[in-house]
Amino acid sequence: MKFIDKSKDAWHTITGEDGPMVTLTPTPYSLLTITQWRGARSVWPADTPVGVAYDNDADIEDLAEDLPRLSLVALQFPKWVDGRAYSQAHLLRSRYRFKGEVRATGEVLVDMVLLLARTGFDAVALRPDQSIEAAERSLRFFPGHYQGDARDPRPLFARPPGEENSSAEVFVNAGASI
Amino acid sequence: MYAYTDFDKHFVRQRAAQYRDQLERNLAGTLTDDEFRPLRLQNGWYIQRHAPMLRIAVPYGELNSTQLRALARIAREYDRGYGHFTTRQNIQFNWIPLVKSADVMELLASVDMHGIQTSGNCIRNITSDCFAGVAADEIVDPRPYCEILRQWSTLHPEFAFLPRKFKIAVSGAHEDRAAIAWHDIGLQLLKNDAGEVGFKVLVGGGMGRTPVIGTVINEFLPWQQILVFIEAIVRVYNRYGRRDNMYKARIKILVKAEGQRFIDDVNEEYKNILERDLDGSAHIITQAEFNRVESHFKVPTGVVADENRLQIPSDAPASFQRWLERNVHSHQIAGYRAVTLSLKRTGQAPGDATDQQMELAANLADRYSSGELRVSHDQNLVLPWVKESDLFALWEAARAASFATPNIGLLTDIIACPGGDFCALANARSIPIAAAITERFEDIDELYDIGNIDLHISGCINSCGHHHSGHIGVLGVDKDGSEWYQITLGGLDGSAISGGSAPGKVIGPSFAADEVPDVIEAVIDTYRLERNAASERFIDTVKRIGLDPFKTAANAQRRTTAKAE
Repeated sequence: MKFIDKSKDAWHTITGEDGPMVTLTPTPYSLLTITQWRGARSVWPADTPVGVAYDNDADIEDLAEDLPRLSLVALQFPKWVDGRAYSQAHLLRSRYRFKGEVRATGEVLVDMVLLLARTGFDAVALRPDQSIEAAERSLRFFPGHYQGDARDPRPLFARPPGEENSSAEVFVNAGASI
Repeated sequence: MYAYTDFDKHFVRQRAAQYRDQLERNLAGTLTDDEFRPLRLQNGWYIQRHAPMLRIAVPYGELNSTQLRALARIAREYDRGYGHFTTRQNIQFNWIPLVKSADVMELLASVDMHGIQTSGNCIRNITSDCFAGVAADEIVDPRPYCEILRQWSTLHPEFAFLPRKFKIAVSGAHEDRAAIAWHDIGLQLLKNDAGEVGFKVLVGGGMGRTPVIGTVINEFLPWQQILVFIEAIVRVYNRYGRRDNMYKARIKILVKAEGQRFIDDVNEEYKNILERDLDGSAHIITQAEFNRVESHFKVPTGVVADENRLQIPSDAPASFQRWLERNVHSHQIAGYRAVTLSLKRTGQAPGDATDQQMELAANLADRYSSGELRVSHDQNLVLPWVKESDLFALWEAARAASFATPNIGLLTDIIACPGGDFCALANARSIPIAAAITERFEDIDELYDIGNIDLHISGCINSCGHHHSGHIGVLGVDKDGSEWYQITLGGLDGSAISGGSAPGKVIGPSFAADEVPDVIEAVIDTYRLERNAASERFIDTVKRIGLDPFKTAANAQRRTTAKAE
């Protein structure tokens, strides 16, 4: 799991004085609203990394055709207890095989991080008051899980004996290396 | 019953450790009370009127004596000496200080128990028939499926923050003793003509402000597919269920609003999971997994068909005969019976048990029921493996422990929530109403004459006391800061005696608390007057003659409310 440090983050929104700008010049690592992206996609250069911030009440199905061109999809948690973006992330990874970054934004708290990791998010922009240390600790409690997830789609019962813990270990190690 | 694997044990211990971490951050001030709330709820911790309430999961109502003794210890050492068994087959404690909560979670983990998902907007503890695995009318034992569902739903990462709570009930018998049509998902196990096992799947049932009976979404789903199909239902709900108004957030509202489109969406999602998702068939239950889980639910060692049938001593008292009639139930194995230990008696709230009573029940389970018990949806305890030849001895022991009130299925076998005495949500108290009715109908001959009847009491519209499904329902309401009670008649919980599932109908403006026992008595008197035979049950008389005679009798009891209006 990548914890976003906003001061070092390459991604930037394109916002004018009156909100998101309608006409824009493609620049690398632009994080666009869906409206901006739909306006710009016909002219957006293939080699200029672009991301989209996608609302949690929008259908992921409507983004499917754009996914091969996106490097980042930023999903929203307007309130942390609104769990719609977990389903969006799951669909991005599992149904649409999205390989880019799936980032959690909005009201993102420490105790969501395990759920985020398991539904397919690989980056989180924690709310500024949250502790990265506590978030990393929250990823390490469980030896494994019963149901399949974004890290391993197989449920516990479909994994060979002895492999129950492997995905968690691999995952924790992967997290440590970032 | 299911025995935890090393993985399961490790898992609940780590859940306790995770909870301790959260609690410590809360106590240190880095996790605010508001943000701790959904986390503690998903471990069963509410903040109640006096102290936190802890709701502990009893998966599909199955308990062993060691676990019950641990519950007794929690009652004794951390609470004020009692616990409350609920309509969802769980147990609640009301007086445990929050600072002790992590210790209690660790104690629970040591006996393979937890409070995972007993509250919060997630998939709740799964409920079932309290006679699962022993019922004479069983088609398929639901317990292995319940356990597989329990594991699948435990800490499901996608479905931890649904629009609202989500309850699943499973029945495997001809008689529905789990009120499945009243649940967000109701599952009825069936066998088709080829003898294959499958589920009839209902969706969108629920109580609360808007009582709704579930809609059949699949008549026969092969058992292997159940996790995938439920995933499809819950995903559609998570995406499209309302989040703007908590009173319209249950799946029943979505099912009602969308109708056939909801069913189409679920079927489309189900197909997509299987055909398009990465390893989308991974959650099809394998025969090997089913066999592994099912092997835990074998008949206990030592339980074998026994030709020594019940010998009723010639001098057996009438009260024993009554207990046999009401509290003893038919069984799959010759020479065995299931026995209900009644938690409905004068002087204690419905469903309550003291630490001593829990210890005694655990002893009875060890001595007479292979160490196993069940919690019933009607808030009683059940001993599932009792030899007929032990019944007399068990009756004497149960009587000494105050478990032998022969009132199962009768008027005083009341379902009631804890109500305003404990619950912060309640508008009115339930326990004094239940106590007043229990005292009013203490005469066992009278109770027998009244016969089978479901009386359900909820202290607020959240309907934890299932008032909608009671033949007589009592609902506490708040008007200008005082307690009032709405009475409904004709609710049906789905059991054979009810003959279906339906919400009761309100018989008029609310009554004052002190009028309620008189109203119940007037309603009962009307039934006894109007029934066309002694064998016509209350609910059948209500169905036959309609509500008007009952309304008239009930309204004649108004004293306080007559003056007020």
